[in-house]
Amino acid sequence: MNWSSSVRTKHRPGNGPASPRAGDLGPHPAAGEPAAPSAPAASGATAAADTTAAPASRDTSAPRASRAPRRRAPRPQLPALLLLSAAFVVLGAVEAALLLSQPAAPWQLVLFPVAAWSWFAAGAVAALRRPGNRMGAIMIAGALAWIVAGLANAPIPALAAVGLVVALLPLALVAHLLHAFPSGRLRGRASGAIVAGLYATALLLHAPSYLFRPDGAGQPLTVAERPDLVQLGLTVQDAVGAGLMLATAVLLALRLRASTPAQRRVLLPLALYGIVAVVLVPLLSHLDRALLGGDQLTLFTAQVLLLSLAPAAFAGAILRGGFAPTAGVRELSAWIGADGGGRATLRDALADALGDPSVELVVWAGERDRWLGPDGSPAVLPDPRSGRGVVAVDADGRRVGAIVYDAALIADAAPVREAAAVIALALDRERLTAELIASREGLRRSRARIAAAADDERRRIARDLHDGVQGRLVLLAMRADALAHGAGDDAALRSDAEVLRAELDGALAALRELVQGVLPAALVERGLGAAADDLADRIPLPTRVLAGDERFPVAIESAAWFVIAEALANAVKHARARSLEVRVAATADGLRVEVRDDGAGGAAAVTGTTADGGGSGLRGLADRVDVVGGRLVVDSPPGGGTRIVAEFPCAS
Amino acid sequence: MRVVIGEDEALLREGMSLLLERAGFEVAATAGDGEALVAAARRERPELVVTDIRMPPTQSDEGLRAAIEIRAALPEIAVLVLSQHAQRRYATELLGQRAAGVGYLLKQRIADSDAFLADVRRVCDGGTVLDPELVGVLLGRARPDDDPFHDLTARQRDVLALMAEGASNAAIAERLVITEKAVVKHVSRIYDQLDLVPGAAEHRRVLAVVRYLAR
Repeated sequence: MNWSSSVRTKHRPGNGPASPRAGDLGPHPAAGEPAAPSAPAASGATAAADTTAAPASRDTSAPRASRAPRRRAPRPQLPALLLLSAAFVVLGAVEAALLLSQPAAPWQLVLFPVAAWSWFAAGAVAALRRPGNRMGAIMIAGALAWIVAGLANAPIPALAAVGLVVALLPLALVAHLLHAFPSGRLRGRASGAIVAGLYATALLLHAPSYLFRPDGAGQPLTVAERPDLVQLGLTVQDAVGAGLMLATAVLLALRLRASTPAQRRVLLPLALYGIVAVVLVPLLSHLDRALLGGDQLTLFTAQVLLLSLAPAAFAGAILRGGFAPTAGVRELSAWIGADGGGRATLRDALADALGDPSVELVVWAGERDRWLGPDGSPAVLPDPRSGRGVVAVDADGRRVGAIVYDAALIADAAPVREAAAVIALALDRERLTAELIASREGLRRSRARIAAAADDERRRIARDLHDGVQGRLVLLAMRADALAHGAGDDAALRSDAEVLRAELDGALAALRELVQGVLPAALVERGLGAAADDLADRIPLPTRVLAGDERFPVAIESAAWFVIAEALANAVKHARARSLEVRVAATADGLRVEVRDDGAGGAAAVTGTTADGGGSGLRGLADRVDVVGGRLVVDSPPGGGTRIVAEFPCAS
Repeated sequence: MRVVIGEDEALLREGMSLLLERAGFEVAATAGDGEALVAAARRERPELVVTDIRMPPTQSDEGLRAAIEIRAALPEIAVLVLSQHAQRRYATELLGQRAAGVGYLLKQRIADSDAFLADVRRVCDGGTVLDPELVGVLLGRARPDDDPFHDLTARQRDVLALMAEGASNAAIAERLVITEKAVVKHVSRIYDQLDLVPGAAEHRRVLAVVRYLAR
């Protein structure tokens, strides 16, 4: 890493300015040799040093940097960009004409304006496609730096002096792009310090090379001819530049480690390219002899190309790769205004608009005092230190929700706030939906709890009746029987005791019916198959039962039994069927129960009625199935029989 | 006659023991769950096992499974199962293919001691006893059109039902107030209708009952 290698090359013994050679020096039109233009970073100082030998001119009518409008606003408009591009075309053309007008000027000098145009084009595209992202602004600033740096080779001393001062700026700008990617804003104090240091190295530490140049007599910027100071300055510049680039490499490595794999795929090649460009450009001047045979023009061309491709690479990465293109807030408004047919979700539209595919929307459920996801599930806002940014969305002064975005990608919350204002009403609608879903889910859970509690209660009652009351009644009946047998000759007592026993027998039969209705013994003891058999045995239509012996969770078995019992009762009452069929089968994720008849059909679960008003039972069935998370389907075409299918998930 | 009783509720167990002892049975052992019942039956080798269906530890069909196991392992022991609820499936499983020396009654039947003891003796004698309630269910059960039971007359069905309850021809004649000869005629017509080939009368009687259950 060497920021001033070519400068040092220039001051090697025997390479004095008195006999400039193309291999060592920049353009020197006065010497009548083909002038080798110098890359701003690598040999800008050299070029400038030689250029200063050109006839001085006080003419300052050439385009100046200060006249170029500076667009660093986050969201440049298209007209402004068009104006800027016109300005750059003119500036570049004027500069090219100025540089090439010198006698024996090599055509490669035109690469300065070409590099400027390349940087500008990349910057303009980035700024247009990603308003709110500052990468474009940095690139456009870079384009300006190229124009100005090119002036170092101009035949007008004042312009050449300005060019000399900023000769190393494009290198610092590439490093700036590296640090600022992808949002265009510097992240963290370390990045800010390193980039500031790089600019200082490029501008201030570069100063001794023109202030104290040994051949600088008569040059506008030269204050003394002090080769020792020049050498000292170059050494310091070298060391500081190397240190800062090392720090840059470490910082980028840390960022790479912290980024997602998708981001890493984009970041890694860029980081490598940027570092290689910033390191290689100065180094090339060292290696020029070995690699390029000392052809200073080829070296220069390679350096300019290497640096000119940088903004294109960055712009490409912003627009494609892991960083989605932005549709802009205006498109977002249009999307919200569009009708619902086939449109993406609000989140997707927002992700497009902000260019952040990781955007999340949460809504504020005020009554519940909590955040909800769009699907009604509880959500938690991210910790600000997590790298996720949060912007609140308010509608009519009410908190509606929030946008959660990637703060590394979108450094400036302003476009997010703007988007928040645009989507406020749409998000409010999503909030209502989410709250509805959440409350419906809550309702379902509470109904399931109630159903489960009722189920438990039924089981407890059935058990108590069976274990307690029934046993005691049987014992009482046995005592009545014993009384009758022990009555001897007392006919009246025997008769009373026998009546008592018979009455107890009747009570036991009634109790059995009651227990059976509360919770059938077969269901508890053997499960659905036995319970279905039992039901089928007691109805007046021939019924085929196809069922295995699998057991299911008690709540599911109870609900499924209820479905079978109700469906069979309905069929007997209303269907005018000749035969029935019950199927009970385990499915991949639960239980499927089907009851079908060959009757009149025309039953409907939705309307709750049939031709003869028998549908209310079906409505009740649907409720009972819904409570345990199941699904009831009634297929009952008129004249085609009725098929009732209930499917239960057993996870619930 | 030695008997082993399976019943988890102490008062009922005592009541049943008392009832059977008064009737001349010797209660060899009592058991409170299915496993203990099977063990007691293997140990005591009684003539009869009387058991409740629902017993610990599962409180489901422990007693029935114990009864089926005893019938399979010790076929000489008569088994009478008492159930809370008359279920065809239980009766079918209990009888298996050997409807002899077996009975399936509702638990409350023990309170009518005369009838109960008569049923117990019939089972001990190798007969088959099904609870009238279950028989009622079987009679009332809807059957497909092609079922041979549709070809039985009402009187033949009455006779079949009483056969299933374990009644002898004489008892059936008495219950239906017809002659025993008429009963025999009905029974042979039932055999014909159900395609039961001639053989030992008792065997065919049992098969008729089993068919009656299974269909």
